[in-house]
Amino acid sequence: MKLKSRVTDGVLVLEVKGKVMGGPDAAAFQDVVKSEIGNGHKQFVFDLGGVDWMNSSGLGILIGGLTTIKNAGGQLKLANVTEKIQSLFMITKLVTIFDSHKTVEDALKAYQ
Amino acid sequence: MPLRKIGELTVPSDPAYLEKVDQYSDRLFKKLPLGKNDLDDIAIAISEAVNNAMVHGNGLDADRNVHISYYLSARYLRIAVRDEGEGFIPDNVPDPTESENLLKVSGRGLLIIRHLMDRIECTILKNGMKMTLDKFFTEG
Ligand SMILES: Nc1ncnc2c1ncn2[C@@H]1O[C@H](COP(=O)(O)OP(=O)(O)OP(=O)(O)O)[C@@H](O)[C@H]1O
Ligand SMILES: [Mg+2]
Repeated sequence: MKLKSRVTDGVLVLEVKGKVMGGPDAAAFQDVVKSEIGNGHKQFVFDLGGVDWMNSSGLGILIGGLTTIKNAGGQLKLANVTEKIQSLFMITKLVTIFDSHKTVEDALKAYQ
Repeated sequence: MPLRKIGELTVPSDPAYLEKVDQYSDRLFKKLPLGKNDLDDIAIAISEAVNNAMVHGNGLDADRNVHISYYLSARYLRIAVRDEGEGFIPDNVPDPTESENLLKVSGRGLLIIRHLMDRIECTILKNGMKMTLDKFFTEG
């Protein structure tokens, strides 16, 4: 898994790439989210377009991120949810938990 | 073609090795008649079974290993994942799709394995628990 964050229109966009399979991934992800909250960010977009696949650890990472952000009074939107991830959301009934948008632009627009 | 072993790998109980397992599987599966979608499903299922073997089976004990064997027949690919633990009864595992479990960060691995693979079997052995995951090759 690779993470890259940038700020667009005041929103923290976190680009996730590669395979999200657990192991060191969860701590790395949580570290980034927590430090960006520490930097004062409240509005987040996770861009999942570059994710090859994720497993239950990956889903746990997304839920952990959502909970951390919400507990800090922030908001999370997902963008570019791949077909593969969407099918995992269906299997696990997580579809309704996340606010998903087609593109990062759409997610950013929804914050305006 | 009878079921024959095409590979095996033993890794310590440390999830940092999941990537190594994935790379090994990737190389092994290259010549099989499976599309990208199936290959991804199998990779996800293997990561779930191996992670469970490390965490729940072996309790992340560095002295216990996870053993992965790969088998091939004309009709299907089989991956067997064995840990060195006591085993468990899959039917007793809580349903992660119940509303009280939905926001939990874990508990979805077995559900995902069941959806992605065609046949799953758990056997409690003298030296650990073995989970076999089968994927059938589709015709044509
Ligand atoms: N190899 C195993 N040995 C013993 N118990 C196991 C094994 N695999 C799974 N279990 C039991 O089944 C439960 C459910 O496993 P499952 O993979 O669905 O969820 P999880 O591992 O707890 O979380 P997640 O996979 O979502 O990160 C585990 O919590 C554990 O109690
Ligand atoms: Mg698991």
